[in-house]
Amino acid sequence: MTDIATEYAATGTKQKAKSLPEAVFAWLLIGPAMLFIAVIVAWPLAETIRLSFMEAGLGGEEYVGLANYQDLVESRKFHQTIVRTFYWMFLSVALKLILGLIGATLLNAAVPGRALFRVLVMPPWIIPMAIGMIGWLWLYNGYFGVLSGTMMSLGITDGPFEFLAYKQSAFYSAVVADVWVGTPMVTLFFLAAMQGVSRDLYEAAWVDGAGRWYRFRRITIPQIMPVIVSMSLLSAIFTFNSFEIIWILTEGGPRGATTTLIVDTYKTAISNFKFGEGSARAVIIVILLGAFSLIYLNVLKYVNRKYGTK
Amino acid sequence: MATLSLNAINKSFGSAKVLHDISLAIEDKEFVVFVGPSGCGKSTLLRIIAGLEEATSGAIVIGGEDVSAAPPVERGISMVFQSYALYPHLSVYENIAFPLRVQKLEKADMDSRVQRAADILQLTDKLQLKPGQLSGGQRQRVAIGRSIVRNPKVFLFDEPLSNLDAALRGDMRVELSQLHQSLDATMVYVTHDQVEAMTMADRIVVLNGGRVEQFGTPMELYHHPKTKFVASFIGQPNMNLVPATVQGVDASGVKVELQGGYQMVLPVEASTVNSGDKVEVGIRPEHVTLGSEGLEISVNVLERLGGVSITYGTIGGDTRFCASLPGDAVIAEGAPMTLSVAPGDCHVFDAAGDVLRRKAAPALVA
Repeated sequence: MTDIATEYAATGTKQKAKSLPEAVFAWLLIGPAMLFIAVIVAWPLAETIRLSFMEAGLGGEEYVGLANYQDLVESRKFHQTIVRTFYWMFLSVALKLILGLIGATLLNAAVPGRALFRVLVMPPWIIPMAIGMIGWLWLYNGYFGVLSGTMMSLGITDGPFEFLAYKQSAFYSAVVADVWVGTPMVTLFFLAAMQGVSRDLYEAAWVDGAGRWYRFRRITIPQIMPVIVSMSLLSAIFTFNSFEIIWILTEGGPRGATTTLIVDTYKTAISNFKFGEGSARAVIIVILLGAFSLIYLNVLKYVNRKYGTK
Repeated sequence: MATLSLNAINKSFGSAKVLHDISLAIEDKEFVVFVGPSGCGKSTLLRIIAGLEEATSGAIVIGGEDVSAAPPVERGISMVFQSYALYPHLSVYENIAFPLRVQKLEKADMDSRVQRAADILQLTDKLQLKPGQLSGGQRQRVAIGRSIVRNPKVFLFDEPLSNLDAALRGDMRVELSQLHQSLDATMVYVTHDQVEAMTMADRIVVLNGGRVEQFGTPMELYHHPKTKFVASFIGQPNMNLVPATVQGVDASGVKVELQGGYQMVLPVEASTVNSGDKVEVGIRPEHVTLGSEGLEISVNVLERLGGVSITYGTIGGDTRFCASLPGDAVIAEGAPMTLSVAPGDCHVFDAAGDVLRRKAAPALVA
């Protein structure tokens, strides 16, 4: 007995001695990645936070405490920008999800030419954003654009209509362009999720008398719900931070009608060289998105519990 | 419950014809098993009965009503899938209640039907769990529960036990047979496992290449296989088929010389063979005994299972031969042995694979 006990004790010590180099080895493995993240994420983030407490421009830096934040809290314009940004995000994401769901359902259905449609859905996503947006600029052009021309020939408008020249039409035009870019990705993710649903489930439901809509509601949606929730979070973050689309179409105009937080931040920090104020805005974006993501992750947890397999 | 008739069912996928003129009449409350190798069309036939596949031609009549053009739900059938097809996001209760929810049944009625199914299948304490939390056998029961609550005329089972391990499969076989007795229902069951077919069926349909080879009771198929295919498919271990040459034909039967040189007179009707014809003699492994005169076998592999010893060897050089002998039989691997077989136990198949009718076959038991 004693011998066995001693042997076990000795083995235990041996294993302990071995585990130390393993930890070092693990640190060595993740070290480069951590260093990389520190350089490209942590350091810029820290620098942004530092700058947000500064009055910083081309002339130099001066510590101003919370003054930049106070200005933002008191600015009515900034409040409008926040509301506009969330409206932009919710509207665009909702449209992307609805269209994505419809698109994926159609692409998943056994229709002739399905493979072709699957390819055709890709271009908005594949085409470089700048080129796609120049296309939209032309579409929205009052004199040369096909939309304005069609509206005129149908008698909807008397003369050329510049979609991007009016506050409301510019905002919704930008939303449409953003939805155009974002829908293919959502569609493909939903399609992949739908294809993962066992055909037997649909057949079993069919045998039990469930119609198409019932099957969609009671099988497809619950089965792909975790993907819907994940995609809406991803899509929300992309849309919230969507910059190129607005910048190319309207540069945030007319009269700030398409200025979202990210455009506002860019305009303040880069166009107007107010690095301190711009940084304060950037920090607020991080906080808002952080809070938003936290809520979402909890929703995801709930969804996984409700629709999961356990 | 109801009868089920299939009248000249044909099915093609493009140019590939998978079912050829299938006609069957299944009695009320009968348990019929479709059995055959992979790709023989048995699952397709079941799906056609269910209405999940459309027959290219032919009619399906359930309870006297032609349902060929009816959607699945109007056929009065319910189906248990090989994968169970349980909804993973729904509880056991909701899975069983699914068909009733589709029918928009009253809650009280639904509760009592689900409860009854759960009682029959011993799932009462599992109703709130999700399928992912159940064992394979329990999932299988939930799938059966879902088919019971609809009170269908005909139950369809598509290889429902093939995802279970061997021990559980044995248990579930017994449970399904008991379920059939307690529900007194017409059941059609698809499997590739002849043991399932033999143990559970009232009658078996043996399918091969999209055609019905034979339709009969298990013992009928065992003792009176109509074709070489049925003979070799039914029975465990498989029937041995030994090439032989007809030496002569007379009133007592056919005289053959088996590969290896052993000669026998087999009591079969010999109207289709003549002297010199090549035939195959079917000998079941359990019908041979160790003897001093008979078939000369050289033993390659010996499997001692306790009660029996399964012996694999060759006869006449290259024809494989299997014998099921007593557990303590004195046999040695690599050594020759002599096996006796009663001529009345042998089957003879002509060159086309059709059987020559046996003159003195054993009486059939139910």
